[in-house]
Amino acid sequence: MGRIPRAYLMNRIVTLLLTIWIAATLIWIIPRLSPVDPADIMLGRMAAGAGAVENADQILEQLKENFGLNDPLVVQYVKYITNVITFDFGLSTASFPTPVASLVAKALPWTIGLMLLSITITFFIGNILGALMVWEKSPKLVKVAIPAAMVFTSIPPILSGLLLMWIFAAKLRWFPLTGSYGLTVEPGWSWSFVQSVIHHGFLPALAIVIVTFGFWALGMRGLMITVQGEDYVTLAKAKGLRPRYILYKYMIRNAILPQITAFALKIGLLVAGQVLVERIFAYNGMGKLLYDAILDQDFPVIQGVSYVIILMTALAVFLVDLLYPFIDPRIQHEGG
Amino acid sequence: MNALTITDLSIDFPTTKGVVHAVSNLSLAIDKGRRIGFIGESGSGKTTTALAVMQMLASPGFVSGGSIDLGGTDVLALGEEAMRKTRLRRVSYIPQGAMNSLNPIMRVEDQLWDAIVAHEGKTDRTALQDRSDTVLESVGLPARVGRLYPHELSGGMKQRVCIALGVILTPELIIADEPTSALDVVTQRHVMQTLKDVQARIGAGLILIGHDMGLMAQSVDELAVLKDGVLVEHGAVRQIIEDPQHPYTKDLISSVPLVGGESFLDAEVGAPPVNRGKDGVPLLEFEDVRKDYGAVTALQPMSFKLDGEVPKIISIVGQSGSGKSTMGSIMLGFNPPSTGRVLFEGQDVARMGAAASLDFRKNVQAVFQDPYACFNPFYRVDHALKFPFKRFGYATSDAQVQDKMREVCVAVGLDPDLILSRFPHELSGGQRQRLIVARALMLSPKLLIADEPVSMVDASLRATILKNIYDLKDRYGISILYITHDLATAYHVSDYVIVLYQGHIAEAGPPRDVIGDPRHPYTQLLIDSIPWPDLDRSWGSDTTAAEDAEKLDAMARENKTVFRGEIPGFWLHVADREVAA
Repeated sequence: MGRIPRAYLMNRIVTLLLTIWIAATLIWIIPRLSPVDPADIMLGRMAAGAGAVENADQILEQLKENFGLNDPLVVQYVKYITNVITFDFGLSTASFPTPVASLVAKALPWTIGLMLLSITITFFIGNILGALMVWEKSPKLVKVAIPAAMVFTSIPPILSGLLLMWIFAAKLRWFPLTGSYGLTVEPGWSWSFVQSVIHHGFLPALAIVIVTFGFWALGMRGLMITVQGEDYVTLAKAKGLRPRYILYKYMIRNAILPQITAFALKIGLLVAGQVLVERIFAYNGMGKLLYDAILDQDFPVIQGVSYVIILMTALAVFLVDLLYPFIDPRIQHEGG
Repeated sequence: MNALTITDLSIDFPTTKGVVHAVSNLSLAIDKGRRIGFIGESGSGKTTTALAVMQMLASPGFVSGGSIDLGGTDVLALGEEAMRKTRLRRVSYIPQGAMNSLNPIMRVEDQLWDAIVAHEGKTDRTALQDRSDTVLESVGLPARVGRLYPHELSGGMKQRVCIALGVILTPELIIADEPTSALDVVTQRHVMQTLKDVQARIGAGLILIGHDMGLMAQSVDELAVLKDGVLVEHGAVRQIIEDPQHPYTKDLISSVPLVGGESFLDAEVGAPPVNRGKDGVPLLEFEDVRKDYGAVTALQPMSFKLDGEVPKIISIVGQSGSGKSTMGSIMLGFNPPSTGRVLFEGQDVARMGAAASLDFRKNVQAVFQDPYACFNPFYRVDHALKFPFKRFGYATSDAQVQDKMREVCVAVGLDPDLILSRFPHELSGGQRQRLIVARALMLSPKLLIADEPVSMVDASLRATILKNIYDLKDRYGISILYITHDLATAYHVSDYVIVLYQGHIAEAGPPRDVIGDPRHPYTQLLIDSIPWPDLDRSWGSDTTAAEDAEKLDAMARENKTVFRGEIPGFWLHVADREVAA
């Protein structure tokens, strides 16, 4: 198996750092192009609470000063970048004065738990089904049933979520309607808490699995068709190898390679998550945090969440790049 | 006893347009230890017959009649599991696409071991290691090759691995489907010698599928000629080559271009060629061009000047890895030289402005090896012809575009009414390759770079396509650089030949001298390696294969260039090299 050549590794590390830097910069620029002034919005929120705000101009000025908006752009940028390195995104404007970092820290584990679980399940189910659609030895039933199941892929997750909620939570009462854990359990590493988390996470995860497995299945199907026509598969058959062995070691093992790259890209996106799925299940993850932040025009939170998304994507791609020489021996020669 | 007896075999492929009879009533028998060649064009049913013996027909094909008897076993009656156990153990298959026949993610020896385990069950690891090392040695590969991945092997090595795989369980019958079609002549000879050698040693029957009459003559005992699924002629190879009965067999034999043989080109002398050169300025010029890939020098410094005044065909010949395709891509400006300059009509190709660059693209066209990969499958043929014509601003009216398209189709021997409205996948390989020539012709280029233009089409079509290309020279005044590994065709079409070996020019001069009477040992080796459709001409034995390798090494150390005379309008110079007299 492969080992990672130094030039290849350096190349990937530089790419990783460059991606993160460019992304952080974009995240800084884009809100500055928005016509909306977050200080105005905060003031508006205060006015809505108190009826009228005295010394509005002074407060506005004070806020701008506190947020550093009066500094020259270069100073703002340098401050921003140094803060970003330490994951300091300042304070949320909507839940003032909670730091963005702590909001993200609270939401992230929920999303990673829910999404990592559902996307991993989806990845395996989808790829196996996609492979079986092509394999000549698959039972007829499988070849008919899988394309039929693809219908679910065209349902938006919000609908599948509501449908599952209605059947399994509202009618059958097997699962709770909303929330990420029961109100009666104390968060911590206790069995009852873990049980409650799984119980609450099941429906949102299922909602995601049934609408996204088709993506993997269709992708895998296309790759398998290509691999099926390869000479090495013909020769494997002529060698008298067992069909299941050919399926795994000659076909799936080769067809899966591009899917693994796609998986890395999805891992990044999972943090943004299925925003709507989290929303309808009132699941306290990153998706809901982002959704609320957009509604509240809470720029620091939007920036923080976006940064985490990009960081996760870049890291996932980086890890896959490191993994690749071990799963595809041809890579060593192309890299560097 | 016969290794294989086929009786009245018919194979049908039901399609939406009716049933295609791929093989009809074919009967023949193969003795143990004998070699039989299946020869015919693509679509003649030779591979289909072989696959039927292994029950590996591609869907929806099926055996519609007859029987196949493999050493006493009725193959067609075998169940799936029994057939699986028969494959490789009793009948093995050496596939055509050596480049792609090994699983890229498994080491070579793992792919030998899984075959043994599939037939004999789990075995001790050291026993497996012994057997894979032994079988690799028997095909002339060192045991360490087993530890490598397929991408680390050359084409010839991969093909040897496939042969090793084919004999590892000592089968009664070996089916080799064009095992050397992707290899150059020198490697082809070594691989065929290895195959014959191990086949004789284990005493198996051998079916060699191919379309090259010369290779057949040098390799098999009997020949079966197939055409459209019918066995048209079968007999001892000498009898068939010296006294063919069927007109199709005669065609196959006569379509092999021979060095020194009769030309397949009509010697018609048309109007004197048009002068399309710029006065005094060479059409194409290499100025001390050298190309390195990392530490490897793919092309040693060379200079040449090609005059455009009288169109010429310059052939560049050599094995794979000789640097000939690198030379082609440098000329096309796709691949900048490491040092030196490429000049087209006096302008440096690497430093052209937008307008000059467009003019260069217009005047220098290319024909590549693979006619299947050259067309965008979404567009009809007329789009492929029309697009560059419009893009380069030649089009004045729709009618003129139509006329031009019809003209170029006719020029390459295609019927415009049939071709223009079709999609590329509806055309044969030969038709596609002619279309590529037609597409180049649309732009009336001054220079055509043809990189192995006929190596992927059937032998009988090669002559026609080469003739199309050859005619461009006189009829349209196009100079051609013909890059090939096929010395026989280079002999017939070219005005000047350059023989490349590992980036060096080994020999250069007019074809009658260089190919007809080679002086450089490398050129001699190339000529000796050509399989001739002549049984009395020796193709060398296995010992010469080892000698050849040594000879090549010695040549790499010496590396002298032999110049064999000049032709007007072409000037070649090799820098800093000792030039042999």
